[in-house]
Amino acid sequence: MAWLVLRRALWAIPVLWVVATVTFILVRVVPGGPFDAEKNLPPGIVANIKAKYHLDRPVAEQYLLYLGRLSRGDLGVSYKYANRTVNDILSDAFPVSVQLGAMALAIAVLAGVPLGTVAAVRRGRLLDFACMTLSTVGISVPSFLVGALLIYLLGIWLKALPVALWESPRHMILPALTLSFLPCAYVARLTRASVLEVMQKDWVRTARSKGLSPAVTIVKHVLRNSLVPVVTILGPLTAVLITGSFTVEYIFAVPGMGRFFITAVINRDYDLIMATSLIFALILIVSNTLVDIAYTFLDPKIRLEH
Amino acid sequence: MNIGAEPPSLDWGVTTDSTSFDVISNLQVGLTQYNGSLQCAPACAERWEVLDGGRRYVFHLRGDVLWSDGRRLKASDFEEAWKRLLDPRTGAQYAYYLYDIENAFAFNTGRIKSGDAVGVKALDDRTLEVRLKRPAAYFIYLTAFCPSYPIRKDVIDRWGDRWTEPEHIVTNGPFLLKDWKHEYKIELAANPLYFEGEPDLKKIKMFMVAEQSTAFALYENDELDYVDNRSFSTPDVERCRSSPQYHNVPLLRNNYIGFNVTRKPFDDRRVRLAFTQAVDRRVFPAILRRNELPAASWIPPQLPGYAPDSGPPYNPERARQLLAAAGYPAGAGFPVVELLYPNREDTRLVVEEIQDQLKRNLNVRIELVAQEWKVYLETLHRDPPPMFRNSWGADYPDPETFMNLFTTYNGNNSTRWSSSVYDRLIEAAEAEQDAGRRADLYRRADRLLCRQEAPIVCTYLSTQNLMVKPWVHGMEFNSLDIQFFKGVTVR
Amino acid sequence: MSSTVEQLSAQQPGGGEPPQPPAGQGLVPATWRRLKRITLSYASFWVIVFMIALSLLSWLGVPLSPYAYDQTTSATLSAPSAAHPMGTDELGRDLLARVIYGSRLSMMIGLTTALIALFFGTIYGAIAGYCGGRVDAILMRGVDVAYALPDLLVMILVGVLVGRGTGGILTALGLISWMGTARLVRAQFLQLKHEEFVEAARSCGQGPLALIFKHLLPNSIGPILVALTFIVPAAIISESTLSFIGLGLSPPACSWGTLASEGWRSLRTHPHLILFPSLFIFLTVLSFNFLGDGLRDALDPRTRLATRR
Repeated sequence: MAWLVLRRALWAIPVLWVVATVTFILVRVVPGGPFDAEKNLPPGIVANIKAKYHLDRPVAEQYLLYLGRLSRGDLGVSYKYANRTVNDILSDAFPVSVQLGAMALAIAVLAGVPLGTVAAVRRGRLLDFACMTLSTVGISVPSFLVGALLIYLLGIWLKALPVALWESPRHMILPALTLSFLPCAYVARLTRASVLEVMQKDWVRTARSKGLSPAVTIVKHVLRNSLVPVVTILGPLTAVLITGSFTVEYIFAVPGMGRFFITAVINRDYDLIMATSLIFALILIVSNTLVDIAYTFLDPKIRLEH
Repeated sequence: MNIGAEPPSLDWGVTTDSTSFDVISNLQVGLTQYNGSLQCAPACAERWEVLDGGRRYVFHLRGDVLWSDGRRLKASDFEEAWKRLLDPRTGAQYAYYLYDIENAFAFNTGRIKSGDAVGVKALDDRTLEVRLKRPAAYFIYLTAFCPSYPIRKDVIDRWGDRWTEPEHIVTNGPFLLKDWKHEYKIELAANPLYFEGEPDLKKIKMFMVAEQSTAFALYENDELDYVDNRSFSTPDVERCRSSPQYHNVPLLRNNYIGFNVTRKPFDDRRVRLAFTQAVDRRVFPAILRRNELPAASWIPPQLPGYAPDSGPPYNPERARQLLAAAGYPAGAGFPVVELLYPNREDTRLVVEEIQDQLKRNLNVRIELVAQEWKVYLETLHRDPPPMFRNSWGADYPDPETFMNLFTTYNGNNSTRWSSSVYDRLIEAAEAEQDAGRRADLYRRADRLLCRQEAPIVCTYLSTQNLMVKPWVHGMEFNSLDIQFFKGVTVR
Repeated sequence: MSSTVEQLSAQQPGGGEPPQPPAGQGLVPATWRRLKRITLSYASFWVIVFMIALSLLSWLGVPLSPYAYDQTTSATLSAPSAAHPMGTDELGRDLLARVIYGSRLSMMIGLTTALIALFFGTIYGAIAGYCGGRVDAILMRGVDVAYALPDLLVMILVGVLVGRGTGGILTALGLISWMGTARLVRAQFLQLKHEEFVEAARSCGQGPLALIFKHLLPNSIGPILVALTFIVPAAIISESTLSFIGLGLSPPACSWGTLASEGWRSLRTHPHLILFPSLFIFLTVLSFNFLGDGLRDALDPRTRLATRR
């Protein structure tokens, strides 16, 4: 396992480098620059600002300067928030997103797996149909609508939860629920498909014929063997959820980092764009590695090296 | 309350947007301030004299105005502020507001290197003298406007760009900047040193909730005490219109469709006139549903110079004739033209309606192009498309703030329309001291702009829609859309 | 946002898909016969046919509603009535006409995105899966990189290159959606290439191209088809999210997605604005999912028995 972690860590460096390079090229190919929207700035001032951020140098030199700073852990400066560095901005926003994302992930798994299992066991029955329709709602209703409905039902109508803002743990519940809606639906569908698959295996029939109760069979044998595909998608899912969601943050006024994936691009805030994609890549690599480790616990047959 | 978005900067020498002004107006006070009827009342200046036929102003400062760090306010704080605003190295967009001051234009555009010749001078600690290059009837309003507020040069020199952070900023207004969680909220606290006495309201939380319906839900759950348009989606306005908490305030903000007159086919005056007469403005209040006032002329009814007939009538028949005269009978051969608009709910509805009206009345096709706000601004500034949707809110209650926009030399005139007749009318109005004659000059210019030349199609005047909780007292609303909290109490 | 949906969707069917016997002559008719027995999936199939027909008819200019989708009237925001079965919007436009018009863009976006994603994803995944080893490792890290690139940046770039119309949105959504399919096809190939029938074909001297096109691809068609039925709804939703952040279609053009993203604020005052577009999205997504489930079963002989009821 140590070998796996080491190997992935070594792979991470070229992957991050490629991500940095491609993003670097993309942001400079896309038309528009960070200071375009500032109207009426005298040319001298623009030149001063560009010199301050080294944007007056040749692109190749900017690239080397960037890599140099990156290797020292300096993610650069934000042009839009003139007095804040990218490290400042992300150290405020990232923890918020992690809390929200982790909570949503937990909800998605804890609700999705049982839902999918029940649907599989009751295959073709009303309960199956109900579970699958519910999960289709999760897939087909855009998250802004889910958020609005939850705000109305739980926040305004029942007054059970705060409708928005980020002040206390109770404030996290509605955004987390909204964020978990879609992944929960996918986890449910995935679990259902996988459980169905495993239930047809001969050894399950054997277990049943030996007199094990259906519940015990499902929980102890089937589920454990069905979780491999679910765990597989947890890798990218984790990366997506804990780097935040623009829509959910927007609806609930959560100061997370998901918004920067959109606003940084819109503002052409070069360093912030680079930082968001690098963080996403890093988390993706880490969570995929964790998933591979989790395999060994779930299914000893899966060997780490192929 | 909710301010909707992160203020780009709390440096009143640099910032230009209303979100920042909302905060700054409660942190800082200038020479004068608006009273309830939007006239300039004494603030840091206890009195002032207008001398030399309107060319020279002398302000006498109160002696008891303290900065939040305890230092006394001096006249030189104003001199330094105004020179900083004009200094080309500051890059202040609002520098042109002070262009009426002697040598201000030359200094700001780099024609003279030193600010010493600029006509603003602290005669002593409590006397400020301002010399104008010519009389300007609206000048006193500028002394109540955020960019003219005094600064603490020592603080700015010490902290540079970071001087507006709560731990560094020094102000003299009714409230202090206590906390600023970027992209989330700003907290203000009552200033015990405020010269009119510490405000009754001890704390203001300004959240930055971008989504209107979320902000309104917060209001419904008593987490916000006061909301305005930024937190008030149109369906919510409809639902709450009969509530005693609801207020509707007409604003000095006019909305228009501009033409880039250097682009075909809008270089032809007849085409522009055809368009402006083919738009039925009566439908806008029904679409936007916020009690908007249809407007065909540029000066709003609350201001001198307004005349009901300055704008063009709605006359599709005449419009078709004009279009035919310009070479496009029944719209034949008319190119598909782009209409640029900022991507917002209300603007989208307006341009979609205009698109359909022009298709029905003139048989011309308009292609709508939405851009994100900043990109939109940049496009307007750099290369205005044939048509664009824009609006202008008054900076001070005088027709000048509207009419100056379409002069040849105004940087925000995206129509590229240039008329020496118009420019001369505006210049004459600026210098005119007699109110009646001045209004008449503006009226003539307005008619020229909207009815004869039509580089713009005026559409409607905006309103502010607010909800205030019954326990909040002393809220006063004005048509400039600035909210002052110093007189507010919560019981 | 959109890639979230993609990567979740495309991976599902890959999980434990069993290998299928080589495709026979009667694959399509046989599948069809089996599909017919699964009532829910069969019904879903016809719902989808109906939706596609709706969009095609409106495309061909067949007037399906007495109103044009962009015709404003003075009856703004009226509730559903005999004249306007789905009511009208803020500008008095008939919502039924707009929903019908919207079906064309939504279905086109859904299907085209899926085809683009399928094309690129299959080629990429096939190469990685077939070659395996070092090539596979490098290509899969490439997928990681593609995931990490900011979607919006790619979209803006595509918008500049292709234009910001429907074509731009289609290309952009396709470009950020292929990774899931690539992973799926790769996993399938990795599994299949050591199966006996593939080894047999190889030992008969068939080249790599023949192996891929004659044996590996036909046997992966089941999971790929199923993935397709997941990508389509995901793209429809992605487009509504695009409209939500203001990068959607240029009005008065509309899709179900733009209708939903414009109507959701009226949830409490004019629910018909959000109800009908959402209903159509829901119905379509539901149908694609049930069809996907049915296809999976119909294509897999081992689950055949279980589906007979």
